[in-house]
Amino acid sequence: MRLELKEITKRFPGVLANDRISISVDRGEVLGLLGENGAGKTTLMNILSGIYRPDAGEILIGGTVRNFHDPHQAIDAGIGMVHQHFQLVPVFDVVESVALGAETVTGWLGTFGRAAARRRVVELSEQHGLDVDPDAKIEDLPVGVRQRVEILKALYRKSDILVLDEPSAVLTPAETHDLFKIIRGLTAGGTSVIFITHKLGEVLEVADRITVLRRGAVAGTVKPADTSREELANLMVGRDVDLLVSKGPAKPAGVVLSVKDVQVMNDRLQMAVKGVSLEVRAGEIVAVAGVHGNGQTELVEAIVGLRTIDSGEIVIGGENVVHASPRRVADLGVAHIPEDRMRDGLIAGMTVEENYILDSYHRAPYSSRGWLHAQEVAAAAAQGVRDYHIQTPSIDTIASSLSGGNQQKVVVAREFSRRVKLVVAAQPTRGLDVGSIEYIHTRLVEQRDAGAAILIVSTELDEVLAVADRIAVMFDGRIAGILEGASATREAVGILMGGGE
Amino acid sequence: MTSGAVAVRASEMGEAERRELRAARGRGLVIALLGAGALWAASGAFKVAAIFSFWLLEQGGAAWTITTTVGMLWLVAGSAAIIIGGMQAGFGARFPWRQSLFVIAPLYVAAILGALLDGQVANMTGVFSGSLELAVPITLGALAGILSERSGMLNIAIEGKFLVGACAGAVAASATGSVLAGVLFAVLCGMAVGYMLAWLGIRHQVDQIIAGVVINIGAIGITNFIFLRVLAKNTWLNTPPTIEKIKIPFLSGIPVLGPLLFSGTPYLYVMLALLIFFSYMLFRTRWGLRLRASGEKPSAAATVGIDVIKIRYHSMLLAGALAGTAGSYLSLSSAGSFQMGMSAGRGFIALAAVIFGAWNPVGAFGAALMFGFSDAIQSLMSILGVDVPPQLLNSVPYIVTIVVVAGLVGRVRGPAAAGQPYTQG
Repeated sequence: MRLELKEITKRFPGVLANDRISISVDRGEVLGLLGENGAGKTTLMNILSGIYRPDAGEILIGGTVRNFHDPHQAIDAGIGMVHQHFQLVPVFDVVESVALGAETVTGWLGTFGRAAARRRVVELSEQHGLDVDPDAKIEDLPVGVRQRVEILKALYRKSDILVLDEPSAVLTPAETHDLFKIIRGLTAGGTSVIFITHKLGEVLEVADRITVLRRGAVAGTVKPADTSREELANLMVGRDVDLLVSKGPAKPAGVVLSVKDVQVMNDRLQMAVKGVSLEVRAGEIVAVAGVHGNGQTELVEAIVGLRTIDSGEIVIGGENVVHASPRRVADLGVAHIPEDRMRDGLIAGMTVEENYILDSYHRAPYSSRGWLHAQEVAAAAAQGVRDYHIQTPSIDTIASSLSGGNQQKVVVAREFSRRVKLVVAAQPTRGLDVGSIEYIHTRLVEQRDAGAAILIVSTELDEVLAVADRIAVMFDGRIAGILEGASATREAVGILMGGGE
Repeated sequence: MTSGAVAVRASEMGEAERRELRAARGRGLVIALLGAGALWAASGAFKVAAIFSFWLLEQGGAAWTITTTVGMLWLVAGSAAIIIGGMQAGFGARFPWRQSLFVIAPLYVAAILGALLDGQVANMTGVFSGSLELAVPITLGALAGILSERSGMLNIAIEGKFLVGACAGAVAASATGSVLAGVLFAVLCGMAVGYMLAWLGIRHQVDQIIAGVVINIGAIGITNFIFLRVLAKNTWLNTPPTIEKIKIPFLSGIPVLGPLLFSGTPYLYVMLALLIFFSYMLFRTRWGLRLRASGEKPSAAATVGIDVIKIRYHSMLLAGALAGTAGSYLSLSSAGSFQMGMSAGRGFIALAAVIFGAWNPVGAFGAALMFGFSDAIQSLMSILGVDVPPQLLNSVPYIVTIVVVAGLVGRVRGPAAAGQPYTQG
């Protein structure tokens, strides 16, 4: 075995993140490390890359025990991490980003040997079929290419154990396919790969062996040939998982949200939404699919009044909301589940109770003449906690101390506490465990059946295919195509996600 | 469907280009209008002489004089503006209009200067060498700011370090009778202040702006106290030997340039050397690469095994040393003693130079020269008795800074992680 982790244990205050986890990977092998969010995958990899130190257990490389005190030692031992959130300096070019930390220098001033570094980058990218312009600035590169730069970083350091943490999260299906090709090329040359993911289909496709983690412990190790999606899902969650959302056919009624030729700029004043038209009717779920960063964020912010549009028209329930404030939009019956719940959904340092009334603290029964009515607020919050099964010690608990799933439930409980005509849910299940995902999906379908119009933005193909009645795929600020949910296939959506070529 | 999308994209590219062309034409028109204004000013000013003189070899010796008329100056400036404006409108977005402003602006400054002098002889060697000398502390302070901010630490305490350096330099030089000892002590004290700022900001994660403000106010208090309670009674502690100007052999013998560039204080030469040195270090060496990575994306640096915390401490110490040196210049070069509040806001001007120069040492030096130039012009005006409110002249560089910084918003970005505390793991 090239790499073995034996009985790794890591404890954080109140959580046993890794409980005697043992995994191994051989030369030229792809180990799929499967687990849902919070299963302990990231902690384990932080231990492997020297960022955390385990409380117990050992790391063996080529049969000898190695314990890492800092990232440097892990890199020297041949471990190359490709982090889920790319660790690249945006203003550096590819050569600088790759060489950073492993620079060759000349002279007593330590002059960076750029020419030599550039030569090696070109050499490595040709050798491994990684198509990268060595002189391009990182911030100008699409995410798929940035990932290749990360892989180059590892190869530049002569890593023979490559760890990919959720590598497909930011890729289109076509790019993921290319990545798999690269992985196979690397393993053919003897590199070992650990592929971390929560996507069943991907491990089945790329891994030679699959280790499933559940709640910080190994739930099982299987070969792709001997298993199935259902078995893997079962191992991952610990019970039978309904991979599909149970819902009846949609009964669309009148148009609730109408977006017409909308153009929106992003924070860097570039046109992010380049003329989108879309209608969502009462009683249907429309999903906006697409790789993150294709204008979905800006489109949602424009709809709920958080971002001024450049041109076009947005009508909600017959009222033009182009210049409406977020509060006015909310008063029209719009529930907004924002993409980044810790930034836009909750105030992290406030209590569950305070977060629960964020949208309506200013009106009866919660307040009058500027004074809050503590009893009414507490009663309403307690009711919300009960109705939405929010796991919290009390309504006075600080929001940031809840788990991701429960934080999201607080947001959903608050947004659904108003009269809802339109739900705008951006990445409503991102980072949640399977139980919470099922819960959120059920609630969304409930709202649909109660006659609300639902707009979901999601980068997860599985989610889009499971919940949507209609699927609008966004690419480069435009709707690349609209498909019927019932007849849409992964392939059809995937092609549109890449621009429709 | 697919071909439709492509067609839409093509037409929109055209739209973006049309927008840029419109913007370029607008800019060209504005520049050309400026030119027309200059020509109008020229028409009535061909009888007014404009005489600029430069010392040939040394101050007070033979001079080289350029004699022209204010009308000519306006004519040249106006024609240049009209030509450049026309080219801008013609070539559109491809025309490097920002760079062209560096041609137009000096011509306009010369014309305005001629108009203000109204026939009097202006000695430009004094103005230019004065600008350089005034640019010394600002450039050193800006270097300090660039190094700390490029590593991810906001450093608004340069003003405080100037004061501490000035006070420490004067006292140590007076006590020992050695200028060099004064400078060294100023450097040490600057580093101590730098370390304190780093310790507050890194170890205790105090907001770096607040920490900087606290240190600035503290520096005023401490130096005022020392001045009033110690130096006032013991004047021997505040009569330092001053640093004399040095003529560099051979180079100072070059006509016109010699007295301008090569007859200054050692500080000038040290500053120029540091400017070149740190430009090289920042952009060409491993040290610079790692320092910039720490200021742009510390987590990326840390994951490849770079010690971000150490880099930030080191850069803050270096910045302290540079700012301390600049402080010693204030008390040891021209003034010849320490005075209360003698930094007079120059530490903040250095910060403006950092931004104006886009966190680039050479750019910051250019900005410092501009600030120095307006100071030098102001003293020239008061010597020649030209009736211009000095406050107005003084505020020109700041107005320019605001316009430039506003115009560059979105184009010039500081280090992304400056001011954000970094915690490992």
